[in-house]
Amino acid sequence: MTSVVEKVIGKKFTFFSGKGGVGKSTCAAATALFISENDRKTLLVSTDPAHSLSDVFNKKIGRSIFSITEHLDALEIDPSFEAKKYVRRVKSDISGIISPVLISEIKKQIEIAYLTPGAEEAAIFDKFIEITQNKKLNYDNIVFDTAPTGHTLRLLSLPKILGVWIDSLIEKRRKIVQLKKSVDRIYGRKGKNNEDPLLSLLLKRRSRFELARKILLDKNRTCFIFVVTPEKLSIAETKMSVELLKKYKIEITGLIINRITPEVKNGSPFLEKRRKIELQNIEHLNALLKVNILAKIPLLDMDIQGIEQLRKLREYI
Amino acid sequence: MSENKMKKTILKIKENLSDFAEGFFKEQAAGILEKEIEDFNDMFMILCFGDLLGIPTPASYYTLELLPYFIGEIDRWESRINRRSKVFSERCARYDFCC
Ligand SMILES: Nc1ncnc2c1ncn2[C@@H]1O[C@H](COP(=O)(O)OP(=O)(O)OP(=O)(O)O)[C@@H](O)[C@H]1O
Ligand SMILES: [Mg+2]
Repeated sequence: MTSVVEKVIGKKFTFFSGKGGVGKSTCAAATALFISENDRKTLLVSTDPAHSLSDVFNKKIGRSIFSITEHLDALEIDPSFEAKKYVRRVKSDISGIISPVLISEIKKQIEIAYLTPGAEEAAIFDKFIEITQNKKLNYDNIVFDTAPTGHTLRLLSLPKILGVWIDSLIEKRRKIVQLKKSVDRIYGRKGKNNEDPLLSLLLKRRSRFELARKILLDKNRTCFIFVVTPEKLSIAETKMSVELLKKYKIEITGLIINRITPEVKNGSPFLEKRRKIELQNIEHLNALLKVNILAKIPLLDMDIQGIEQLRKLREYI
Repeated sequence: MSENKMKKTILKIKENLSDFAEGFFKEQAAGILEKEIEDFNDMFMILCFGDLLGIPTPASYYTLELLPYFIGEIDRWESRINRRSKVFSERCARYDFCC
């Protein structure tokens, strides 16, 4: 077993992150494939709205689980589909709760939900929680291929941001319920003693956010791999991300350096120069970040598509 | 009027008076609490619909499922918030110092 696979195979959840185009999808797919070849049922999930797993495997993977090999399945989260499903659920719940007159009023509000700036990321986040909680999906490993850095950092910070928001909603609602009870008591009304439905809904939501937070912070179950190319910008962005994630108490498990210019016999001076710069950058990276380098992958002489070509990465990953 | 009857009448008046006083104070106490409920409701609504008021919140998506539970209150809240001066005078009136 090689370094990356060895490191992540014991963790239920593995995230691949990094700057755009550095090879996240390729590395995530290869890692998932190699894990699954160790007789572990593995699910590869893309949280990137601009999916590329279909390209990596040259197969039409979609929003439902697609079987790649006997032990490897894949899935591309479709945010607009998930958002529509959510809206549909709320719409059907509504009819049991409010009068038909108000329903037409509320329809307007519901359509707005599609358009709110955070709808896409919230939809992805919800689906992510569902995948981690769904008992019917019994995978040994789940590997997440994420969108370029900024997007992913947002996603990883959501449990905290949403947690703060929902905590204050819960606090306000509790206060309201309590005050309403006091008013009832003054008038000697026998207030409804059952749980406030709005409050229980909020509590349910909060516990989902809490589950996501627990998973992200649980070093025994979860690891984060950053893919980086030996270029200044990619390294700088990785440093920034590592520091930002530290703020959210998320620790990076290790790095994969991808697309390193290979040593070629009688190579051109151009390539030699390029190689030298890259080696300097890697040294700089070592000094800059105290993070394990788990793998170094050379730039191959072709694009990597399909299982056969992914296997070429086995010796590195 | 016999003494007995007199006593009964006085008792009755007393009862009515205390009912009245009790009602009066109850009304006032409940009024204070209801204002407080309104305050918390305002904060709750702003947390939920900040995006509509121009304060973006990452959580707008999640307020959708809460809507059915307070859709009835939204109209009242909306018009109160729209008549800001009214909101302001309401607040002042509560402290008995202006308006
Ligand atoms: N070591 C490598 N050698 C040659 N080609 C590579 C290597 N790694 C990745 N590629 C190719 O680079 C392209 C981009 O890779 P990939 O899609 O994995 O990047 P990504 O980080 O997922 O991109 P995005 O940010 O768009 O999601 C693909 O065509 C892939 O085949
Ligand atoms: Mg990708």
